[in-house]
Amino acid sequence: MAKYQYDQEALTNLKISDTKVLDRLVDYESARAAHLAKKRDKADKRMTLKDAIAKYVSDGDILTDSGFAYVRTPHQAYFEIMRQGKKNIQMIGAPNTNQSYMIYTGNVSYSHNSYLGAEMRGIDKNYDRLLKDGRIKILSEWSHGGVALGFKAAQLGVPGVLSKQMLASDIMKYNPYLKVVQNPMREDNDPAVFIPALFPDVSIIHCHVADKYGNAYIYGPQVNDLAIAASARKLIITAEEIVPESDIRYNRQGAIIPFFYVDAVVEMPFGAVPGNMPGYYYWSRQWWEKFLRYGCLSYDNLKEFLDKWVFSCNDQFDFVNKLGGAKWIAEARRQTKAAEGDNEDIDFSYQEYTLTHDTDLYY
Amino acid sequence: MRDLNAPANPLEMLAYILTKQIKDHKVVYVGTGLPMVAGILAKKTHAPNITMVYESGGQDPIMGDLPWSVGCPLTWRKSPTLMEMAYSFAQCANGYIDIAFLGFAQVDMYGNVNTHLIGEDFHHPKVRMTGSGGNNDLASLAENMVLVGLQTPDKFPERVDFVTSVGHLTGGNSRREAGLYGNGPIAVITQWGVYDFEEKSKRMRVKSLHPGIPFDIAQQTTGFELLKPEGEIPLTEMITPEVLHILRTEVDPRGVFTTLPAA
Repeated sequence: MAKYQYDQEALTNLKISDTKVLDRLVDYESARAAHLAKKRDKADKRMTLKDAIAKYVSDGDILTDSGFAYVRTPHQAYFEIMRQGKKNIQMIGAPNTNQSYMIYTGNVSYSHNSYLGAEMRGIDKNYDRLLKDGRIKILSEWSHGGVALGFKAAQLGVPGVLSKQMLASDIMKYNPYLKVVQNPMREDNDPAVFIPALFPDVSIIHCHVADKYGNAYIYGPQVNDLAIAASARKLIITAEEIVPESDIRYNRQGAIIPFFYVDAVVEMPFGAVPGNMPGYYYWSRQWWEKFLRYGCLSYDNLKEFLDKWVFSCNDQFDFVNKLGGAKWIAEARRQTKAAEGDNEDIDFSYQEYTLTHDTDLYY
Repeated sequence: MRDLNAPANPLEMLAYILTKQIKDHKVVYVGTGLPMVAGILAKKTHAPNITMVYESGGQDPIMGDLPWSVGCPLTWRKSPTLMEMAYSFAQCANGYIDIAFLGFAQVDMYGNVNTHLIGEDFHHPKVRMTGSGGNNDLASLAENMVLVGLQTPDKFPERVDFVTSVGHLTGGNSRREAGLYGNGPIAVITQWGVYDFEEKSKRMRVKSLHPGIPFDIAQQTTGFELLKPEGEIPLTEMITPEVLHILRTEVDPRGVFTTLPAA
């Protein structure tokens, strides 16, 4: 008998014939084994981003997005995955604004969707095109809260949770992992959705500070990241700063990822660029606008865009230089401090990216 | 700069009508766009004591510039609490949220929302859109929800192409029987009018039309038969010059969400 019973209607609707591709996400036994096999000693886990990606991101892995859309997302690590040419990744974008370029470059072949696009910046025309051209295989549709509960179940160490989210919607018809069940506590009709605990293969979480062992501190919205840190089989921490363990112990009590979850620690100032890093720098609004309004218009535009911003950058410093260098950094710092109420209010107006307005300074 | 003396444009009207849905001292779950404008405008006018909650985890920020995203620092500016995403939706399920605002690409006669795709074929849609994000979560869990968007026949079909978020499902008692929480959508707000749902059938019904908009316009831009209220159709209460001034000078001075693309 098969180990996993997926929803048949969803398998048919999604045209999934070989269900092996779905198994690892819900395989709590192998995730537990991976966690048991991690070294427990307080070793120095620092390495370069190149080494961390080479060692811990494998072809075919299930990779979860972390942070929230523009906020604290490890974009620079994703760009390194692209530069290293990893293949056949399953991407869980929850929330997500930016997996489609990794589909175009052949890094991502499968997606677990909950959101595509960049809010007020617009929908992702690139994803639309790639879907119609058959270059991405959707393995499951979700709501943001649905995926969040799958990770939360994993963090809590339970096989799954019952939820009212997604009930009776068409999302259920395109998600083989979900099942409608009767609430076992109730006599009367009380349907709920069983959401299984989700175990990605690898996650990269960008944090504010970490010590060399991997204790990592997050300031601002944690989104799903504490749950993802607990569930992922392999965990890479990229951090704006590496600090002594004593700094974590005495100054950073709060949202901490414990060191024994962590496989690699990468010191990575500007690791969330071109996104927002709470307390550190504001996001590059014009860069996102350029991506959606120019980069996503055609494959040719996208190729040109990625050549400039990803493949001809060696690291995040090259990227920051292209955004406008020190001048960009100073403004990004000023803006994020104002947005958080940590200095005087400033004027947030800026000139939006348009085809006729493209400068070398991307605020 | 914006012309402070120009008459209210349709987006400003939408923002104001949304604002009027917010009662003081309530907890309001806010999505990107016009809901943010409405929340802040409500706080600056008739509802100074509301608490705003955002999907990425921010709660009750002190007022600042208009956020551009539900993860923006302005959604958690000096917030006393910062939730995880699973917990902020759980607040909705647990009855801590009074009202939620949602956008749509399509909405049907029962208030079901589509933000996934336009077309018949999931694998080859005419347009693939964003998918759910938090839309389904709020629609499934919120006590009351208000839908906001533009009204055209393709955006108001009899049946949406994909049910991202359940409204009143197939009408009658079907939402409750499907196991969902809350009352479902209580209002749909568009550039023509405000709609509610008839008590028994749960079909969309005109509640009020904006000044100068005849019923025929509303009906002609709808892909299904709109129900009419008994008697004369009320006029939507219009934005006053004082509130319009606050909207233009304090809430959205750059017109990020409340200027028309051509303006």
